[in-house]
Amino acid sequence: MSYVNAALRPVFDLLLAPFAGLPPIVSLIVVSLLTAVLMLVVFKRTSNQTALAGVKRHIHAGLFEIRLFNDDLRAILRAQGEILRHNLTYLRLSLAPMVWILPPLVLVIAQLQFHYGYEGLRPAEATLLRVDLKPETVSAGIRPEAALDLPPGLIAQTREVWIPDEAELAWRLVAEREGDFEIGVRIDGAPLVTKTLRVTRRVVRLSPVRVEPGVLAQLIYPAEPPLPADSPVQAIHVDYPDREVSALGLGLHWMIPFFVLSIVFAFALRGWFKVTI
Amino acid sequence: MTTTHRGRVQLWIVVLVLLAAAPAQAYIGPGAGFALLSSFLVVFTTLILAVLSLLTWPFRTLWRMLRRRQRGRPWIKRLIVVGFDGQDPVRTERMLAEGKLPNLQKLADLGCYTRLRTTYPSISPVAWSSFGTGVEPAKHRMFDFLEPDRKSYLPLLASTRIRPGSRVLKLGRFRIPLQKPEIRLTRGSKAFWSILGEANTWSTVLRVPITFPPEKFYGAQLSAMCTPDLLGTQGTFLLFSTRPGGEKFKEGGARFPLRQNGNGYEGTIEGPENTFLEGTPPLTLPLAIRPDAARKGARVSVGDEAVDLEPGRLSDWVSLVFPAAPGVKVRGICRMMLTEMNEHVTLYVTPLNIDPENPAMPISHPSYYATYLAKRVGPYATLGLAEDTWALNEGVIDDGTFLKLTYDIDRERRDMFMASLERQRGGTLTCVFDATDRIQHMFWRYTEEDHPAARGKDPGPHKDAIEKHYLHNDAFVGEVMGRLRKGDLLMVLSDHGFTSFRRGVNLNAWLLAHGYLKLKEGTDGSAEWLRDVDWSATKAYALGLAGIFLNVKGREGEGIVEPGEEARQLKKELISQLSGLRDEEKNQTGIREAFDTPGLYQGPYVSEAPDLLMGYNHGYRASWDCATGVVSGPVFEDNTKAWSGDHTVDPRLVPGVLFCNHAIDAEDPGLIDMAPTVLRLFGQTPPPHMDGKPLFERPPGEKKRSAAAPPRAA
Repeated sequence: MSYVNAALRPVFDLLLAPFAGLPPIVSLIVVSLLTAVLMLVVFKRTSNQTALAGVKRHIHAGLFEIRLFNDDLRAILRAQGEILRHNLTYLRLSLAPMVWILPPLVLVIAQLQFHYGYEGLRPAEATLLRVDLKPETVSAGIRPEAALDLPPGLIAQTREVWIPDEAELAWRLVAEREGDFEIGVRIDGAPLVTKTLRVTRRVVRLSPVRVEPGVLAQLIYPAEPPLPADSPVQAIHVDYPDREVSALGLGLHWMIPFFVLSIVFAFALRGWFKVTI
Repeated sequence: MTTTHRGRVQLWIVVLVLLAAAPAQAYIGPGAGFALLSSFLVVFTTLILAVLSLLTWPFRTLWRMLRRRQRGRPWIKRLIVVGFDGQDPVRTERMLAEGKLPNLQKLADLGCYTRLRTTYPSISPVAWSSFGTGVEPAKHRMFDFLEPDRKSYLPLLASTRIRPGSRVLKLGRFRIPLQKPEIRLTRGSKAFWSILGEANTWSTVLRVPITFPPEKFYGAQLSAMCTPDLLGTQGTFLLFSTRPGGEKFKEGGARFPLRQNGNGYEGTIEGPENTFLEGTPPLTLPLAIRPDAARKGARVSVGDEAVDLEPGRLSDWVSLVFPAAPGVKVRGICRMMLTEMNEHVTLYVTPLNIDPENPAMPISHPSYYATYLAKRVGPYATLGLAEDTWALNEGVIDDGTFLKLTYDIDRERRDMFMASLERQRGGTLTCVFDATDRIQHMFWRYTEEDHPAARGKDPGPHKDAIEKHYLHNDAFVGEVMGRLRKGDLLMVLSDHGFTSFRRGVNLNAWLLAHGYLKLKEGTDGSAEWLRDVDWSATKAYALGLAGIFLNVKGREGEGIVEPGEEARQLKKELISQLSGLRDEEKNQTGIREAFDTPGLYQGPYVSEAPDLLMGYNHGYRASWDCATGVVSGPVFEDNTKAWSGDHTVDPRLVPGVLFCNHAIDAEDPGLIDMAPTVLRLFGQTPPPHMDGKPLFERPPGEKKRSAAAPPRAA
């Protein structure tokens, strides 16, 4: 999984780089359009288009029938029953293309989440750096030896705080200027592990957590390479604020406009791509 | 990848995605969105429609009750009328006697079988108009397919008037219509479905002739005979070929060249006129044929559509979309067949039917009914005379292809009918099936010895095409009978019978020979539509199939016959000479009787009828030249076209048939009696202007014979 992520990260960085200085909704429109096209192509190739067209025809016929026989309650109920039955068939026929669409979409959305889901830190804005240790490396009652290696421009405002119940160490950090920083953490003399921290106003990839290796962990948190497997560190968090995308005067989670736009584009372009959805 | 393996992969992917679902709750995304949103919309729309229907139902019911006419208690729940256009009693009775029509026999045993009087003249537009309205042609105005414009003598389609909107905004070379074109049904009188509708009785009227444009009533209607194709004609097939030249088709076809381009061929499909542009040039679509040697066929592309064809095999319906203006598209459907792909390439294209899913003209009531049917049964032929008889007449397609086209159209119609039969719970359901008529027109030549149209031709497997179709009809009746419910009354009927068409009679040539018609100087009478006629010296002329018109002063543009006594005398003279007209070459009578039309029936439109109707003998009919207003040539000539059977003869020779699952009370029923019968069955008193009489005096199934009981008032 980490290889897939390693390949995808530069692709998305490159794709979204031209829009980094623009309001996020702009790039989101482009991304939604590209996603819609991708989904249409996959849907067309993996679905039974003839059967889908047939079942949709029956559904439309049922809707017309309700209008045509609107004085006949039994006819209306019959038409409704038929529509629901065909709707189930439609869902069944949609299952196969969904199976093919979901995996790439999960990867795409996972990447996008770390471009649009968080805002970069601002200069002088404090944030918490939290280091979760693997429980088996922590001895009861013994505080681990922790050393923080901070690059210039980044200041620790506090000493580390040890929370034994959580097996977690925490520092409060503040950046003096915009930029990309790499923080080093050494626990009990083990090799140094690093974590990125970005102070920026631009829409770029932000990694709020770097996790240990594992397919599921990498699927969900693909923004940074995994931590070394032999490290006592389980995860390193940087608390970025959540981002809201401004659309139609509303502050929305980015998934909402993405979902709506990609569906709108898909429906709008289905004729052009000759896809029945 | 095998299906099993692919299925297993899909399953694993689902499992993986579901495992990742908790943190990726929003990862459903647009993929699932397609399906879920569509499904949700469907369910939502269904519920909204249902709730709206339920909420408004009491108000609509109240409104209709306030508006409805008084009616008595219906005698039946549903009336189902299956019309087999042209089913002939002689053949039917022979096949019944031979035990070949078990379902019709069963129907006759249950109720009745009888011959059914047809109309004067015995032509479908006339007969089905009388069926619907219950009146003689003088009251519904349909006398033939064509009628002359009395001022210009040019032919007009009798049943419909189409006038483009006159108000147009001109913007340079663009024209923006500010008014809809006027499309008007010229058939007079009110059909039973309209009268029933006023009393809240639902009717479904499928493909009953002379219903274009559709009428508005409480029910649903799909237009039939006289519905034009996309070009506005009654059916023009297209022939694209690399062969140079070629004669102009006499009827219903147009040739277009195919140009070689690399390994392929190119042409242009011309569609309807583009009324958005000055000069109304035709809308066009590029046609490309790319031979595929490996598949021994070709890929044919028209606009954005592409279809793979093998020579000699008809395509399914192909969708044609003509862009007329930004946002305006004219849609049609057609079928195609490569008729040759050797040294030369030739592509046959059926007439461009109006697309029922997106009709460019009103072809149904309500307007969405045509779309509904297309969704229910798939694309279907909408052209009035949809079976391409002209292409077979011209030898462009062969017998087998014609039959394939005809049976496919018949299947579409049967699917529509069955869908309605299954869904409709009350009222009337009428459907006319044209295949019986078309197959008899085109295959009669194989049923008799030495028919001029079959000389030197091998009928191959189609010798019994007509009989096979009667068997097909019988099986269909069996299917319908199997779906009848309690309270249903089923009628299977035809508008007329059939006979041979061996010899054509050119009445114009006869009128010329006998001095009633004169030609302009320097002409030979070979021009169509009477263009060679000298009207200043002509007393009578023929146009269409039904009969003869007098050139009456004040009625015709250049009339010379004084109305009144002179006209009466002229008619008398013509009747005496034409009745019993002999075909000396064959030593037979060509015309049994010429009828004085006002002597047959009276009504407000009788003056618009042909002044004389011709009662041709078996084997005779107006010739092809006569029908199109050609004067030259012999009076009698052999008919060598595939169109070799007909019914435009003395109506007494070609009655129709009537089967019913209940015995009727009339001795000599006629097609004209159907409308009053339907009204009585549904508790209505037939209006006094109707000429027909109800066939039932008492509720069907009531054993005791009693005097006709008037329906009880509601």
